[in-house]
Amino acid sequence: MIDLIEVFDRAETGPLISETDYYMKRYVPKLSEVIARHKVKWDKQTIINTDDALTDAVFEAAVDLIAEAGAYCPETNRVMQFSRDEIEVACAQAPRGATFGEGRERKTMYGRRPDTTDDRPWVHVGGGIYTSDEQVYMDTVEKMASFNIVDSVSVPSILHLRGKDSRVRSPQEILAACKTVRLAREGIRRSGRAGLPIINGISAASQPASMFAASYPDFGLRPSDGFLIDFLSEMVVGYEALQKVAFYNSISANIGSTSTPLFGGYAGGAEGVAVTATAYMIMGNLVFRGSYHYNAPLHSKLHLSSTKPLIWAIAMSNAAIGRNMGYPMVNLPYLGGGSGTKQYHYEMACYMLAVVTSGGNVFSGHPAMAVQTDSLVPDDHRFHAEIGLAAAKLTRAEAEPIAQKLFPLFGDKLKDPDKGLTFQEVYDMRTKQIVNAEYRKAMDEVREELAGMGLEVPVS
Amino acid sequence: MTDADHFDKLKQAIIDQDEDEVLDAVNAALADGIGAKTVIDQGLLPGLNVIGEQFEDEEIFLPELMQAALAFQAAMTILEPKIKEEGTAGEKKGVVVLGTVKGDLHSIGKNILKLLYETSGFEAHDLGIDVDLFSFINKAKEVDADIIAISALLTTTLVGQRDVIDALKDAGERDRYKVLVGGGATTREWAESIGADGWAATAYEAVTLSTSLVS
Repeated sequence: MIDLIEVFDRAETGPLISETDYYMKRYVPKLSEVIARHKVKWDKQTIINTDDALTDAVFEAAVDLIAEAGAYCPETNRVMQFSRDEIEVACAQAPRGATFGEGRERKTMYGRRPDTTDDRPWVHVGGGIYTSDEQVYMDTVEKMASFNIVDSVSVPSILHLRGKDSRVRSPQEILAACKTVRLAREGIRRSGRAGLPIINGISAASQPASMFAASYPDFGLRPSDGFLIDFLSEMVVGYEALQKVAFYNSISANIGSTSTPLFGGYAGGAEGVAVTATAYMIMGNLVFRGSYHYNAPLHSKLHLSSTKPLIWAIAMSNAAIGRNMGYPMVNLPYLGGGSGTKQYHYEMACYMLAVVTSGGNVFSGHPAMAVQTDSLVPDDHRFHAEIGLAAAKLTRAEAEPIAQKLFPLFGDKLKDPDKGLTFQEVYDMRTKQIVNAEYRKAMDEVREELAGMGLEVPVS
Repeated sequence: MTDADHFDKLKQAIIDQDEDEVLDAVNAALADGIGAKTVIDQGLLPGLNVIGEQFEDEEIFLPELMQAALAFQAAMTILEPKIKEEGTAGEKKGVVVLGTVKGDLHSIGKNILKLLYETSGFEAHDLGIDVDLFSFINKAKEVDADIIAISALLTTTLVGQRDVIDALKDAGERDRYKVLVGGGATTREWAESIGADGWAATAYEAVTLSTSLVS
């Protein structure tokens, strides 16, 4: 595989082009071409694809897209070009596993193939949602880490210092990022699982300086945690991302290549999102040297990932990589329903059935499009991890009819999702026990409904 | 060919997002004596309205929207000099200055908004990403804007929206402009808390809201 310095050089030596021309003359037309060439088509009814020939066509289209459109570096206004051979070598040499954590919590997340029903996928819970209060923050992390089925956590954000929110690129942001990881590690320590990895490092850091500062070992993060590096916009590889690539490769840390292709944006519809999401996973290894991928396609208007075409596209990208590359993947769902609502559970179940049977690992996700403060409610995430583990026992063909039954239960609500609860509204703040009877009842009822549909979800 | 035929052809050419077809239709309409402003008002803008509706209904996506906008812009290079000659410049819906706040490098939502403003009859001045707060204000003064539209995707950059409003207040110019905020990290509650004139969840909603604010 081409070495990292060579990758960086591609941002300095590729053809010069404006960002608009990159999109209108390279990415957009090439995406249309590769979709037509490989006959990638969503039939508008299917939620979980089971056609392996179509899955492989998506993978080939993604390879062609990278080879023909390249990536774009906005700082140099150049296209980063890679040959088909270079891309194929990167696919062949991609990591099949990423090892996280310390001590007895040290484990390996593997890339999974679609329809694998006899393994135990990696279980990741949490999300980078904003938290209003240090106590709520610590309690949230402690409680999520304490669930014994959990292999890793995403920790929330806490941005304020002395009652004020920190601003992007400010010195306060560096302190907030350091505080975030210190509190997170302490919360995990209190759960009795000190070595448990945090793999969404670092949620409070929007700039490389904050990420690097908070990576100082005394603050609690380690190379065996996971550090997210994202593609900023469709196929854009900016200097900030490459700076993080340079640093985290220099300390041999786990890198989570991260992408958010937008449905309705430059990628277009379901087919374009499936191909672009797959291309990002390949570039995650080729450009970022990732250990695992954080796949987070989103709807450009609804700001969530649970529409029918998006679930199809997300599952498809998992299957394409699972069958052809084996790179470990988790998928970050942004769901419409608020915490504790039946809508949130239905959306999550549909999403899990699609992505886990298609080769993704288990990842609970964001309620309320990730914008409601204090909406990470740990027992939601435990339930959703249980759903994910149940889904892992099914094939795609077995999961599809259940997903079809679930979708009508939330599909019409996505434009105006049900409002949910906060941590404080669910738990007794002293004992941290659930005191909201409606919250418990909704979860129990959904568990029963899922069993009635053919998805038994055992309590962990 | 009747005037109505010309208008249908112009509208369809925009809907087809075909720049050559648009330019042919514009030249044919002008050759038959139809005024430049009429070409826009009765041919091109109805086509752009359809494009906007198709985008909202997810029948087309950003690339098609951009293609239609580029075809429209190409037509305007022919039509603008004619409008000046004819002295028929019409009323714009309004003038908007838009951009993504300082420290935030996200552009797609803002780019969609710009295109929808342009295709809805607004004059849109896009300042890009990572925009200094005074750039918003200076540009708004320069172009005599009606609306300042500010996008922020990150929680840590939200404060940039409040800064623009505060700076307008400090300068005694808060009432001169309507300020709209939007972007992934924003909520209606946030918009209200900083004293914005409006919040929109989507670009299409932002244009609808802008139309009501300037009418």
